[in-house]
Amino acid sequence: MDALEPIKTPLLLAIVTLLVCGLAYPILVTIIAGVAFPFQANGEQVVMNGTVVGSYLVAQEFNSSIFLHPEPDNFSASGVDPTVTLAYAYSQVPRISNATGLPQSLLDGVISNQSEYTLFFFGSRYVNVVDTNLYLIKNYPSIYSKHVN
Amino acid sequence: MSALPYAVWLVFIFAAVIASSWLLSAYLFAVYTGRKGRLDRLFDPIDNFIYKVIRADPSKQMTGGEYFLALLGFSALAAALCFIILVAQGYLPLNPQHFPGLAWDLALHTALSFATNTDLQHYAGETTLSYFSQAAAIQFLQFASAAIGMCVAVAVFRGFSGKFSGIGNFYYDFVRSITRILLPASLVAAIVLVALGLPQSLGGYVTANTIGGGAQTLDIGPVASLVSIMQLGTNGGGYYGANSASPYQNPSPLTNWLEIGLMLLIETSMPFLFGRMVGNKREGHMLLIAAYAIYGINLVVAFVNLAPFGPGIEARLGAFSSIVWTVTATSTMTGSLNAALSAFNPVVIIAALMGMFIQAAPGGIGGGVMYLLMYVVIAVFIVGLMAGRTPEYLGAKILPNDVKRAVIAFVSHPILILIPLALAFSTGAAAVAGAGSIPNGFTKVLYEFTSAAANNGSDFLGTAGNTLFFNISTSIVVLLGRFIPMAVMLAIADSMLKRTRSSQGGGLRTDNLLFAGILVVSILILVVLTFLPFIILGPVLSLLQGYNGI
Repeated sequence: MDALEPIKTPLLLAIVTLLVCGLAYPILVTIIAGVAFPFQANGEQVVMNGTVVGSYLVAQEFNSSIFLHPEPDNFSASGVDPTVTLAYAYSQVPRISNATGLPQSLLDGVISNQSEYTLFFFGSRYVNVVDTNLYLIKNYPSIYSKHVN
Repeated sequence: MSALPYAVWLVFIFAAVIASSWLLSAYLFAVYTGRKGRLDRLFDPIDNFIYKVIRADPSKQMTGGEYFLALLGFSALAAALCFIILVAQGYLPLNPQHFPGLAWDLALHTALSFATNTDLQHYAGETTLSYFSQAAAIQFLQFASAAIGMCVAVAVFRGFSGKFSGIGNFYYDFVRSITRILLPASLVAAIVLVALGLPQSLGGYVTANTIGGGAQTLDIGPVASLVSIMQLGTNGGGYYGANSASPYQNPSPLTNWLEIGLMLLIETSMPFLFGRMVGNKREGHMLLIAAYAIYGINLVVAFVNLAPFGPGIEARLGAFSSIVWTVTATSTMTGSLNAALSAFNPVVIIAALMGMFIQAAPGGIGGGVMYLLMYVVIAVFIVGLMAGRTPEYLGAKILPNDVKRAVIAFVSHPILILIPLALAFSTGAAAVAGAGSIPNGFTKVLYEFTSAAANNGSDFLGTAGNTLFFNISTSIVVLLGRFIPMAVMLAIADSMLKRTRSSQGGGLRTDNLLFAGILVVSILILVVLTFLPFIILGPVLSLLQGYNGI
């Protein structure tokens, strides 16, 4: 009888659990996710002209005044919240309008259309900054194209 | 806006959770009592193969002591494997970002914290852990610790019930918890979460050239598979340092409420399972009503003061959802966060602390219902004293030894919080972690040790807690906070197993609303009397001094 005998079963169980739950399970989820939902599984990447320019789910700097800006770093808990409150989005409309010449009412409409509720049909409203800027780039290419690399 | 739609929303969510949990409990009953079902054709060969590999005889009944030693030995070895993986990370595969191994004290703290279902994190996963570590160390322990919680609950149920020949076999309960409950449920939840936007990849971080001309790293990885077991198993340790505030862990209101449901699902089904196993479903219903009544009180406390919020709330989630999440994560011992705790009014922190002091509303996976039964033993004893009757529960006499043991389990909690809290301030260790001030710093350190002792895992300190003092002290606290109550409750269950049961029910009835009320009042009196000074010195003082956050 060897010295490992009393701990043999718990040790073997730990190793089996590690192999099944710590390796087989995440790899299985990765395979299924990659086949069924490749866009989400790879972080919802935004691709323009063949290159990855960011993610729909991660805030990025839009330092030109023609764009909607995210909250400054660390205003949210994550520091990379891609969304802003509706009020914060509206507050930027005069600046964007000045820089682009687009009428404020049009920009207000774009932001309102892009907004969603935190509780689906009530609660506070928020706007995805990346989505909104991509919408502007797509619909007003004459203004935005020179700012897109 | 009026509070009504919010209240209606919560009622809808809880109704959906309770209905799902009730359905789940029938399946759990079949799993743990070995009742034959159609799924056996799939699972029996898998389980039998595992029993053979690990050389266990699943039909052998264990005593409470044997059961406890088996789960303790398993936990220690599982933690040791995790520790080795974390310190050797630099030499292991699936490390595209080339992260080096962890320092020994951080690795020890992480291994013990995850092995005890606590998940305090003194690191940020996306800049510290390789894919291999996130999977083979973290997700492995999240499954293992959740399964152990369920095993202990079921063993305790068998002892209390008196309808079983023994409290069961640890290996039988553990293997079935993993293969028949946690793995299938996590797999389904993970796929749904991917569909809703969570990443799941092993291909390395992606570099993006942003529209504004900068560079950005998209830190994707096996996120969904981790988040599903982290929430279902009330673990709470996230893939990212920002936990579920991170948009990759919680991208939308839909994922937010789904993840809240996952936190509650299994622990809400445990009282139903208890009712089925003791042969009187109403006994289980009363435990659930008591647990949800206290959970409801915690939620009300969190919304008492609606002063404006500090920065630290995600715009896509909003303040209401963040508060409900925080109270749920601390009432269930999950401890995941979707906002910065510093954003909240002190009343939210009071509600969170109450959840972690009580540990049973509805509590962590398996652990919550175990603590409910601990409170039942104490409550039945107190009522017995007042009414001048011998205390009884489920027809069995509650003996002085049972009450002594239950009190040991209860009292260990404040002791495990108070001693290290005093040490942190007397040695100056709190100041080193930037939390030396009264009252706000006191609240942060109180919160840290309460979270550790309750095996919750939410914390204020975060990476600031990565000091030798906090790594070692919370490692000791998570161990004792986990295993003392388990040992004690298994001992009570063991001694109740063969106790004679009276059928005429001469004692206090425990399957009616009156008893649920007595239980709620007993729990609140016990907990408030014990912890009031802590709360007053911390968040209440912050509130009185006019702070809007801590």
